[in-house]
Amino acid sequence: MPSDRLSATFAALADPTRRAILARLASGERSVTELAEPFEITLPAVSKHLKVLERAGLITRGRDAQWRPCRLEGKALRDATEWLEGYRRFWDESFDRLDAYLSELKARGTASERGNDV
Amino acid sequence: MTQENDAAAASEGDVEFVITRVFDAPRDLVFKVWTEPAHLMQWWGPKGFTMQKCELDLRPGGTFHYGLRAPDGSDMWGRFVYREIVVPERLVFVVSFADKDGNIVRHPWNAHWPLETLSTVTFAAQDGRTRITVQWVPHNATDKERETFREGRESMQQGWTGTFDQLTDYLTKA
Repeated sequence: MPSDRLSATFAALADPTRRAILARLASGERSVTELAEPFEITLPAVSKHLKVLERAGLITRGRDAQWRPCRLEGKALRDATEWLEGYRRFWDESFDRLDAYLSELKARGTASERGNDV
Repeated sequence: MTQENDAAAASEGDVEFVITRVFDAPRDLVFKVWTEPAHLMQWWGPKGFTMQKCELDLRPGGTFHYGLRAPDGSDMWGRFVYREIVVPERLVFVVSFADKDGNIVRHPWNAHWPLETLSTVTFAAQDGRTRITVQWVPHNATDKERETFREGRESMQQGWTGTFDQLTDYLTKA
């Protein structure tokens, strides 16, 4: 994967309108007009968002001259998800393991170093 | 959080990553388990990972170099350089991805993620239990690195992670 692909993806995902667009595309291809519907922003503003998503490889646009449907592209989103989730998972799961380990230590009775907790 | 940290974060306008959890154990024990290799080997890293190396020198300027083996057999290495150690209440260290020799490296997929992040871990005693708070922020970072970090964090907004899951489900079937 190109090493700057992830930062382009984060930039694309850091905007709530763009995240909402991606969520809609999860249920199938949409035209620009259809995507603009739920938002109180202009078509040109939506197009700008779509350009950012396209540059990040998160969507592709159809070539049909009549309408250019937007389609969600899996790889970039999967890679970003994996990276971000990996970060979160590292800490969540380490903390889960810490929790279990501390219980184990207490059960073994090595928790006699209670210190001066008040 | 040290005043230095506060000032640095405020002046750079950095967005912090913060996580916090309460553990049902006394603070002295929890701090010990964070700072002794024999204990760290029992919990540091995600589920299914095993620690291949755990070298720790607990003093300001000292390092913690660790290797974690994933279930698929791949290795990931990390390094902490301690800046501040206040027993049993605070650890401040600079974290980086590393190689097996302890040199810091960039993540191979992500050229713009900060090379170094400053982590502050605080241990607060609460009625015989301990609240751990981990906060991290880019360290010695370029504008691009700070921007990447901020956007990565914003991509993980609460409520979106559920959508991520749905999208991932959709993508694996597509």
